[in-house]
Amino acid sequence: MHEVWGIAALWLGLALIATLLSIWFRIATALSEIVVGTVAQLVIGALIGTTLGSDQSWIKFLSGTGAIVLTFLAGAELDPVVFKVKLKEASAIGFISFLAPFLGCTAAAYYLLHWTVQASWLAGVALSTTSVAVVYAVMLELGLNKTDFGKAVLAACFVTDLGTVLSLGLIFAPFTFRTLIFVGAGAVIFFILPYLTPWFFKKYGDRPSELEAKYLLLFLFGLGSLAVWSDSEAVLPAYIIGMVLAGTVGKDHVLIRRLRTLTFGLLTPFYFIRAGSYVSVPALIAAPAAILVLFLSKIITKIAGVYPATKAFDYAQKEGVYTTLLMSTGLTFGSISALFGLTHNIISQEQYSVLVFVVIGSAVVPTLIANAFFIPKYLLPKKAERYETTD
Amino acid sequence: MLKKILVAFDGSQQSNKAFDFALDMSGLCAGAISELIVISVVQPPEPADIVEVDAIIDSATQHYEELFKELKEKAKEKGMAIKTEVLVGHPADQIVRYAKDQNCDVIVLGRKGKSRVERWLLGSVSKRVSSYASCTVIIVK
Repeated sequence: MHEVWGIAALWLGLALIATLLSIWFRIATALSEIVVGTVAQLVIGALIGTTLGSDQSWIKFLSGTGAIVLTFLAGAELDPVVFKVKLKEASAIGFISFLAPFLGCTAAAYYLLHWTVQASWLAGVALSTTSVAVVYAVMLELGLNKTDFGKAVLAACFVTDLGTVLSLGLIFAPFTFRTLIFVGAGAVIFFILPYLTPWFFKKYGDRPSELEAKYLLLFLFGLGSLAVWSDSEAVLPAYIIGMVLAGTVGKDHVLIRRLRTLTFGLLTPFYFIRAGSYVSVPALIAAPAAILVLFLSKIITKIAGVYPATKAFDYAQKEGVYTTLLMSTGLTFGSISALFGLTHNIISQEQYSVLVFVVIGSAVVPTLIANAFFIPKYLLPKKAERYETTD
Repeated sequence: MLKKILVAFDGSQQSNKAFDFALDMSGLCAGAISELIVISVVQPPEPADIVEVDAIIDSATQHYEELFKELKEKAKEKGMAIKTEVLVGHPADQIVRYAKDQNCDVIVLGRKGKSRVERWLLGSVSKRVSSYASCTVIIVK
């Protein structure tokens, strides 16, 4: 038992280092945890010749729970009122934003990199997602989150991520009787939850015993178990539960804060450090071409897919903004998809390393481009001033 | 004539000095200054995760609202009321934008904020504001 506590202390130590790095360099905690996991595995492997313990069952459990709860919280960020109002635009643009890179990156992996069919589909899924956070942060910065355009864009991001989660959950699962049970049970629970949850919380909630957290975890674990039993992925029902409860649980800031404490404080470090520990640095060094091919496929297919769609909805001035933002990949769903592929033997460790690197790269690079692109107008020298001469 | 003073506040010692300076300045120009505004800017991490972005904005807003209470108390002792606001984005850009949108006459801010690493990575906020603001900028040391 002392080894378990020792490993737990090591992992929490790494999580602490990652958190400090994220504070100092102002980067996402997820990113710093992935990098710390990669470096730690490299160093410990070189020094002691052992692993971080990523395959231990209790680490897998904490890691899996981190992915599930984080995905639930991501789904709960949806604004259902705006989503209903902008349903047509959000669905169209979001779906195309998912479909174009999904098909494009799958084709690139299959035809250019000669990956297997399943591995290529997995690459397509991992690179189809969009970082809602990048869009959200820039919208907040420019004040566009209050405009119809901004609201539609944000809603579209959720549709894109829903496409990613659905394809991850359904493409690799064989369609059997178990799938029918999972889908059927899921549909019933998704329908009942928005009505049952507020009633139940009002009647029994708001006590120190944290009934709300236990209630949510019951459904997340229950449906997650059904999902895995039917060879699907546990984050699929978690995201949908988050979306259907976005109008109730999502608006309860106190509950969301408590769930975030649980998630960031204990669970997600295990997920992202574990994800990082499987990245092979030698594999990355050996495959620069694969990284470039997948990265460019992602960027080009996003732009090619989204640009005509935004034109169709008459976003004349802003589609440049939009396509830049939507280029960015979500770290959460991208890494969840890649890790799913590795743990289900769909992709090799080398392919996993390449995918994670591209997911990170296609989260970082568009953010840098968006920062450069969004230099506010007052920071650019006026045209007349540029050509002034002094006598 | 000075009508509106904008103070950029991040909770650091220097930004507290900047606020005190702005308060003293308002007292000296009693009757002329119509508004003393204090803003704090929450900068989300990059690249970001939506759950983390919201969590950071949430906790930073709560943190700054607490600090604003102390500033309001200080202002009340000098017979002044202040307006406070929390913005989201890149600090220098948001300060300059806000000053322009609100037609502020002067921006007061501390010379350096909290983090040396941030200054090294992102450049000095005070330098950027003083370069691009269209109004007077006072940097308090």
